[in-house]
Amino acid sequence: MKYFYRLLLLVLGCVGSVSSYAQTPEPVISGTFRGLTLEQFVRQLEAQTQYRFFFDSAAVKQVKVTLQPQEQSLTSVLQQALAPVDLRFAIDADHNVFITPGRPLVTTLPGNFFQGGVATPAATDQPVAVAEPVRAATNPARLYEIGSPREGLTKATLAGHVREAKSGEPVLGASVYIEAPAVGVSTDQFGYYALTLPPGRYTLNIRGIGIRNTQRRILLHSDGKLEVEVEEDITNLKEVVIEAEKDKNVAGMQMGLEKLDIKTIRQVPTAFGEADILRVVLTLPGVKAIGEGSTGISVRGGGTDQNLILFNDATVYNPSHLFGFFSAFNPDMLKTVELYKSAIPARYGGRLSSVLDIATRDGNKKKFSGSGGIGALTSRLTLEGPIIKDKSSFLIGARTSYSDWLLHLLPNRDLRESSASFYDLSAHISHELNEKNSLYATGYLSRDRFKLASDTAYAYQNRSGSLKWKHIFSNRLYGVLTGTFSQYQYQVASERNPVTASELSYGITQLGGQADFSFFLNAKHTIDFGVSTLRYRVQPGRLVPQGNESLILPDELAREQAQESALYLSDRIDITSRLAVSLGLRYSLYQALGPRDVNQYLPGAPRSTGTIVDTVRYGAGATIATYHGPEYRVSLKYALTDNSSVKASYNRTRQYINQLSNTASLSPTDTWKLSDAYVRPQVGDQVSVGYYHNFRRNTIETSVETYYKRMHDFVDYKNGARLLLNHHLETDLINAEGKAYGVEVSIKKSTGKLNGWLNYTYSRSLVQANSSFAAERINGGKYYPSNFDKPHDVMLAGNYRFSRRFSTSVNFNYSTGRPITLPLALYYVDGVPRVYYSDRNAYRVPDYYRVDFAMNIEGGHKAKKLAHSSWTVSVYNLTGRRNPYSVYFKTQEGRVAGYQLSIFGQPIPTVTYNFKF
Amino acid sequence: MPLLKQYFLWLLLVLALPGCVDPFEPDVLDSPPKYLVVNGFINLSGVTTIRLSRTQSIAGGAAPLVEPKATVTIVDETGAPYTLTEQTPGTYVSAALNLSPGRKYQLRLRTAAGREYASALVAAKVTPPIESLRWALENGRVQVYVNTRDATNSTRYYRWSYAETWQFETPYYSGLEYVGGRVQPRTEDVSTCWTTVNSSSIELSSTARLSQDVVANFPLVLLPGNSVKLRVKYSVLVRQYAQTPEEYAYWELLKANTETVGSLFDPVPSQLTGNVRSLTDDTETVIGYVGASTETQKRLFISSSELPATVYETGYKCPRPDTVLLGGINGAFGNGAVVPLFGVYGPPLTSILVGYATAPADCADCRRRGTNKRPDFWQ
Repeated sequence: MKYFYRLLLLVLGCVGSVSSYAQTPEPVISGTFRGLTLEQFVRQLEAQTQYRFFFDSAAVKQVKVTLQPQEQSLTSVLQQALAPVDLRFAIDADHNVFITPGRPLVTTLPGNFFQGGVATPAATDQPVAVAEPVRAATNPARLYEIGSPREGLTKATLAGHVREAKSGEPVLGASVYIEAPAVGVSTDQFGYYALTLPPGRYTLNIRGIGIRNTQRRILLHSDGKLEVEVEEDITNLKEVVIEAEKDKNVAGMQMGLEKLDIKTIRQVPTAFGEADILRVVLTLPGVKAIGEGSTGISVRGGGTDQNLILFNDATVYNPSHLFGFFSAFNPDMLKTVELYKSAIPARYGGRLSSVLDIATRDGNKKKFSGSGGIGALTSRLTLEGPIIKDKSSFLIGARTSYSDWLLHLLPNRDLRESSASFYDLSAHISHELNEKNSLYATGYLSRDRFKLASDTAYAYQNRSGSLKWKHIFSNRLYGVLTGTFSQYQYQVASERNPVTASELSYGITQLGGQADFSFFLNAKHTIDFGVSTLRYRVQPGRLVPQGNESLILPDELAREQAQESALYLSDRIDITSRLAVSLGLRYSLYQALGPRDVNQYLPGAPRSTGTIVDTVRYGAGATIATYHGPEYRVSLKYALTDNSSVKASYNRTRQYINQLSNTASLSPTDTWKLSDAYVRPQVGDQVSVGYYHNFRRNTIETSVETYYKRMHDFVDYKNGARLLLNHHLETDLINAEGKAYGVEVSIKKSTGKLNGWLNYTYSRSLVQANSSFAAERINGGKYYPSNFDKPHDVMLAGNYRFSRRFSTSVNFNYSTGRPITLPLALYYVDGVPRVYYSDRNAYRVPDYYRVDFAMNIEGGHKAKKLAHSSWTVSVYNLTGRRNPYSVYFKTQEGRVAGYQLSIFGQPIPTVTYNFKF
Repeated sequence: MPLLKQYFLWLLLVLALPGCVDPFEPDVLDSPPKYLVVNGFINLSGVTTIRLSRTQSIAGGAAPLVEPKATVTIVDETGAPYTLTEQTPGTYVSAALNLSPGRKYQLRLRTAAGREYASALVAAKVTPPIESLRWALENGRVQVYVNTRDATNSTRYYRWSYAETWQFETPYYSGLEYVGGRVQPRTEDVSTCWTTVNSSSIELSSTARLSQDVVANFPLVLLPGNSVKLRVKYSVLVRQYAQTPEEYAYWELLKANTETVGSLFDPVPSQLTGNVRSLTDDTETVIGYVGASTETQKRLFISSSELPATVYETGYKCPRPDTVLLGGINGAFGNGAVVPLFGVYGPPLTSILVGYATAPADCADCRRRGTNKRPDFWQ
């Protein structure tokens, strides 16, 4: 848009400078022009001739001219100079030369222009460079011709990418649509769109997150491409909630999807002032944490291990830093976060409850820029810029904490000897090989380290990487080939007593490859299909002595490995304009592979070390256990009116990897266990139905979703199970059944000075461990509330913008207290009182209630400025309520006393400085 | 791990500043269950003491609810019975027995109400002797360590309990006592006493992961450097028990349930019962684990002369001595709350008794806090 105005000004400016030269024969040009910019080149031409040149200097910055014309006409010289760089020119009667990208400017009005009647746009009457591909459509006023006219063609497909003009980054989830007939699509993760229409003239509307709403006029003859460059909304830096997908709530096919953009993420106040995606995800309906300060999330009553967390398609196993107080993702790197709670697309698999798909930005393709923040405990810096302008870019972000420094200042000796620190690095490179091929590479590394009172040192690392190659076969078919690598490791070292000094380590590595294809069959069918395979390698535990004095015996659990593969196909069918269905099927196959020794247990007896009857050795690569099964993904949408719709979905998911955690919150020493002969895969079924209604021209979205979910064979533990370094883990695990159901009511206003959302959720999550053996029964085999069972939950996230530069946000959260196991009675052992506990999770902690407040103060919005900056002042837990994180009873000096531990028991104020250049 | 638990809260306090712990008193259960609790072990060589009681309200304060008039018998795998007799209500003792460690044993109970219970048959364990006890001054604190080993590598699982005894002195010396309306010289010293306290924590260690069955420097007792226990002389008697893996697991869980829960990474507490079952009603909950082993002991002394000069805690908060005139002695000493220290004579340079210096009984009579009979083992 900006360029258009600049061009317009130039054009207007030229009106004033029009000289009254008479029509003269075209001049001839001679000379040597070597490696000149266009500007230098035309200046020389202007010196040689009476002609004046007009062009958009930004659009021709990269152009280099090398020519040696001898007595050639101006037209021929210009043709030679400009044709190779895709520039066109037009010369008017007043010796003005207009150089434009793509198509020559029309310098004369149509012949019938002043003769009344409907003005026909000039373009249709002018011969245009039809076959020449347009590098990027930036001009809303211009008519773009697509393809060449062909007789008898009834359908043509228009496809291309929507990118930000300034950075060249793809715009995700933007709506590309025409009003009549009502046909539209959303751009995918690459900014790609494809529309099938009858040939004709259309106005293409483009609306999306972080961009200014715009239009492109097209004349569609046959299949063709239109790359659209759109303007970013500059006023709020890169963080604007646009009325994107305004009616997605109602009109979109997908249900149970929560989509967050970085602006929304930044608005939500957090404990340490830094934007934290996991914290924001927790404000969404149906998502619950076990406790604050923990990033273990439960989606619709599922376990903390049932969420697939993808960072640019690579799995991240531990998404948190520092005991879960920070999420492991640098907010400046992120573009969007999508959480699928139901109707999980067939493309995703491997986890039962949800998919959290985190996508980074692509990096600025046009110029170098950076952003960062300085906070109370952490600082971060992100840099980005082009590698090859308009073709490839990099984005690199780093974040580190300085809590070590804080600890060392403390008077307490034990704390001074403690340390806690973390950092993470992420890098993303995107490269457009040509129009049909693009490459994307992402790398991620995070490392945490903490040591308490110079005794036990903990460390854990996440490493992941992905490499994607996107190939466009045709306008209607494209494919993405992805290779991923993920690794999670931890080490626990104990050094204090030389006799028992040791290091315990754990590691999981995952290598994967997948090919995904999207095929736009016609206006009624969109087909996605693909294959994927994953290889897991787990080193479940290794204990090694440290130092010469240590008597620790080295111990290592046998390594585990497995292969998980899947095929999927889904078809989105628009049956009528009101009714659409999406039918998907995923078939997954899992094989636990040797080498391993597998204990055989006495049939008909509970598994214990006493019932081992034999041990069978499986050789390398031999299949120990095979599981496979279909995963159905079906959803349906029926639009009742333009403003309301009903959606329903059913999906089945299978999970072959289980997290083992016997503690109240997620801890870094939790391990992941692959399914094997004894640990069966988890299978989940979910049915959900929702009603959606938008009010006031789609500015207020409301929805009610209900769901019912069954989970089979998820892992539970016998009382007092030992999970670390257990050579016969299967004796301590039990397969439990779970069920969850609930209603989620949500009201959301995403535009205007006052925006935000209010959710109410009623949900239950229940577990049953009923075995024929008493030792494997919990609570007598009856259903009991899971750790995530918090029936009532109210969440309000509100934001009020006083001006462009000053806004405030408030968070309010209420929920039922989480279930706990309470001591019921007291008894004496050797004269010391002890407590007898209730059935598992039979009682609850007091209700949870919290209010947070934040203020954002933006610097000036002058577009040209060295750096844009903003301050965030926030107060977490404004009322200072001491929400119990956990409740426990302790025998102290012969007395049993109950305590509640609150993590954030007082208001926590923080100030963060953010900048962007 | 335990250190992590201990310090994690501190770390939280630093990071989040206001992390906090408050008392929590849920108003659940006014009528707590009354399950039978069996406490004790089968002592292979010596007297077996079994205490029977009932679970009671968590609110505490009440004395243990004992289970009297039960019949308690040790039975070995061949069925040979060894009967215990009720010594005090709820406490049942055997004769000094010498049971073969090669057999399995169980405890059989029959309550006064006629309900029958039995513990599981367990293998007997012979406990190796404690190799040594040693102490060290670390960071201004006295740490007592236990060392033990089993050359046959067959013990592997250990539990300890201990009894601490220390000598102490009252702040004031009372040479007089009030008996029958008269003040007279004391016949015994009441300024030096000894007191004994049993351990309240469960101390466990396993060498199952070590190449040798060696417990090296297991930290058992930690005392602040200025503890009143160290002021004169301190002694600790450590008792060692060998355990089967199952019994060890029971104690480990009992410890986890009641001593180490609460921090973020602790396991959630779980229901724990033990190896005693009701023979009358299979669904009845019975608490307790009855193992069978021998017991070995060792004692350690720490004298204040071995420690650097320290200002010790006295454990006393006493007012300055008061004076009671002769006429007021009945009123002052009658209820025993105040005792005479020494006679007060006046006017100066005369020897006319006018009254007595006095102090609260707790400040001058150490028998309020212990016994003035020197323990036999004291050296």
